[in-house]
Parts: sequence; C-alpha cells; structure tokens
Amino acid sequence: MSSSTIQVTDSSELSAQTTSRLVLQMARRDIATLFRTPWIIISRSLAFIIQLFVFAYLISGLVISYPDYFRYYAVGAVVSTVASISFIIGYDIFEEAEEGLLDYLLTLPIPRREFIIGRALGGAVRAMIYTIPMFVIVAVLENFANPLSLIGAVLDLFLIAFGVTGLSITVAVSVRSANRFDVVLALLELAVTRASTALYPLNFLPAYVKVFAPFSPVTFAADSARAALTGLGLDVLGLVGLLAFVAIFLGLGATFYFRRLEGGVYA
Amino acid sequence: MSSIHLIPRVIERDVKILFSDTFLIGIMFANFCIDLFVTAATFGNLIGSSYFLRIAPGSNLITAMVAAFQSGRDIWREKYIKDLASYLLTLPVSRRVFALSRITGGVARSVVATFPGTLVISYLYGILFSPRLVEAFVIVAVFSLGIVGLSIAVSAFASTIEVFATVRSAIQLYLSFLSTIFYDVSLFPVIVQPIVQTNPMTWAMQAFRELQSQGSTLYPISILVGPSVAFAMLGALCYLWYTRL
Repeated sequence: MSSSTIQVTDSSELSAQTTSRLVLQMARRDIATLFRTPWIIISRSLAFIIQLFVFAYLISGLVISYPDYFRYYAVGAVVSTVASISFIIGYDIFEEAEEGLLDYLLTLPIPRREFIIGRALGGAVRAMIYTIPMFVIVAVLENFANPLSLIGAVLDLFLIAFGVTGLSITVAVSVRSANRFDVVLALLELAVTRASTALYPLNFLPAYVKVFAPFSPVTFAADSARAALTGLGLDVLGLVGLLAFVAIFLGLGATFYFRRLEGGVYA
Repeated sequence: MSSIHLIPRVIERDVKILFSDTFLIGIMFANFCIDLFVTAATFGNLIGSSYFLRIAPGSNLITAMVAAFQSGRDIWREKYIKDLASYLLTLPVSRRVFALSRITGGVARSVVATFPGTLVISYLYGILFSPRLVEAFVIVAVFSLGIVGLSIAVSAFASTIEVFATVRSAIQLYLSFLSTIFYDVSLFPVIVQPIVQTNPMTWAMQAFRELQSQGSTLYPISILVGPSVAFAMLGALCYLWYTRL
C-alpha cells in the first residue's frame, strides 16, 4: 500500500514537473521572438518616449483643473503601454495561423492547456520585458523608491499583461480576415485603454464613459498601481478585478483556441 | 481602351477593396468616435469646453491617416502575401499612370472612410448645411494625398509587416504629437518648432480651425498642398521603383 502511495505521489510530481516544463517551454518560445523583432521594441519605446516627454509634458501645462497631471499620466502611460504591448501575442498567433505554422505547433506533443497557458505567459512576460525600462524611467522621474510599492505595481502590470494576452488570443482565433483582425485589435486596444482611468481621472471622463470605466481591467491595474506607488496602500478591489479578468480571458482564450483553430481557414 | 480611361477602373478597384469589408469602415468610424467622444471630450473637461472643439478635427484627420495607411498596407499585401503585383503589372496601363491611379484610389478611400467623421466635425463647426462643407472634404483629401503617398513609399521598402508597422507608427507619432492637434506651436521648444510647422497635420488642423472661425482656408490649404504633393510624388516614385521586374 505504502509503496503504491509513493508511486502515485511520484507520478503526480513528475506530471506537475512535466506540465510546468512544457508551459515554460512554450513561454520561452514566445519570449525568444521578442529579440527577433527589434522593430516592435523600437516603435513602442519611441511611442512611449514621445507620449511622455512631448505629449504629457506639454498637455500637463494646459491642465490646471487636476494638480500634477503629469504624474497621473506617467503611471497610466506605463499601464496602457503594457496593455497595448500585450495585444501583440494576438498578431503573432494570427500570423502563425495565416502561414500554417500553427498547424505544426498543434501537432507538438504538448497538451492544449499547457500550450495556451504557456503562450499567454510568454506574451505577458514579453510585455513586462518591454515595459520595465519605461517603468524605471517613470519611477526615477517621479521618485517612486519604496521597494514594496514598486513590487506591488509590477504585480499589477503583470496581471494586466497576462489578462490582455488572453483577450488578444481570443480575438486572434475568433476573427478570420487579416484586415479586419488588424483594425479590430487596434480598436479594442484603443477602447480598453481610453475607456479607463489609466490616462484620464474618472471625474473628468464624459458621463457615458464614466459608467463603464470603473469596470475596465486597465482601470483596475492603473488605480491599483497608483495606490501602490503613491503610498495609498493595497487596492484589493483592483487586484480582485484583475485576477477575475485574467481567469475569464485565459479561460475564454483556451476555449476558443480549442474549438475554432483546428481545420480553420484564414483569408 | 486608352490608358486614361483605365484610371477610373483602377480607382474603382481600390475603393471596392475598401467596401469589400464594410465592417472595416464601421470600425474606423468607431475609432474616430472613441478619439472624439472619449479623448477629446475628456480633455475638453480637463482644459475647457472650447478645447474640445479645438482638437475635434484631429480625430477625423487621425482616421484619415489610418485609412490612408490601409492603402499602403494593401499594396504591401498584394506584393508579399497575395502575390498579385506581377498580375497587376500586366494590365494595359502605363506604370506611371497606374501609380498615380493607386494614389488617387487611396485618397478616394480615405475621403470615403472619413465621410461620416467629416460630417460630424462639420456639424460641430456649424457648417454642415453651408457650402463650406466642400472645403472640409477638400482639406481631408489634400491631407490624405500626402499620407497615401507616404504609406505607398513605406510599403515599397518594407520587406516585413513589422517594418511596415514600425515606420507607420513612427509617422503616426510625428503627425499626431509633433503637430498642433493638441497645443500651439509656441509651446514646443524652439528647436522642434520647424518640425511642427512643416507637419502636414499642423496645416490641415489650421485649415479646419479657419472653418470654425469663419476665416479663409486658402492660406493653410495652399501650404498643406506643398508637403502633400511632395509625399504623393515620393509615393509614386517608390511605387515605380518597386514595380521594376
């Protein structure tokens, strides 16, 4: 009896090890593509720098109704950038499907669950690698030095990245036309980041946006990161909201992936 | 059929490509609405209601820019994804005429894609039922001419979609943030001001603002024509270069 119990434990441990190894392997593959596409890093970094040092700097001089709008915008810009970069995984998956590479990937001896979690994790880690230097710039500029606050904010960034990769994967496997996919993803990216409190304080949003903005995942991440960085403490509601967002879209992404990918046609 | 008579056919083909996916036009309008009714409206609340009207045309011009870049993207896809470039070159039309037709087709697509947006801005500026509405469309067309030229030039040299997307983003950043959409030229550091003053977006915005203040659009449009024609010629030259077998 005891030996059989030991055997079962060994087997489940082995299985857990294999699962985590496969997830990491899938994630590593997506992270590796980061270094093969320097153009994306260049364009996103350039966008962030211009957004912060030109747009935010000049516009905050015009905004007198909200004190220190530059600081507000700077933190929000990092959150919206990580969300925006996390959408890239969708482009990758769409391109792989269009080129037929996805059919090959699906033949690999990796269970679908590990495959999807690995891809979402890879996309999220990749987005974090992109965004950390921008986060450092903002932390230095705004003098955010408390290590616990910084860790809290990085956790928020990671959660939003993980959730958005799930959302992006869901869209990538739901839309079949290349032109349509490009524009849908751009619109979704715009809607998710603009209809939130990442870049604009809630009180100044138009009434019709104010209704939805508090429930945006980007709002959860931005408010939670701001609370952590400015010493207001832990935004539990924001963190719970982010976790729910991750769970929902990772689940949806996986479901769509399984149901719609195999045998599909990309035009 | 003479070469000249084929120009409308080429333009028609490009416009039909736009209409082959009406969903896409709807999405572009949705994009415009988010820019106008979320971003511009919020900045209106943050800075002042007159600021909303000041930056409102920027939403439409940004949509025109997106639509213009779709033309370049389609040309890129014809070459690298659909392998249609060789077939198109067999059409009985000279390459020069073909290149100019593609650019005109791109402008037509931009004007069509921004049609509802231009009407919304004209309504906000109180010129919806005035003959000045025509001027609003002229501004969008002249502005789009330059951007279509730029997008075709980029499509000729970009070997991968990533390169195309990166250059597109850089151009969009220049047009959006280094222009007078959001702030006066005087707010920029002196060294950056010449860049802002030569930005086509600056003059397209200026022309729209003249419509709001019932001023003459002749001066800003005549300046806008300069970079637009230059970019269109660059696009045509790049297209001719790219069509060499």
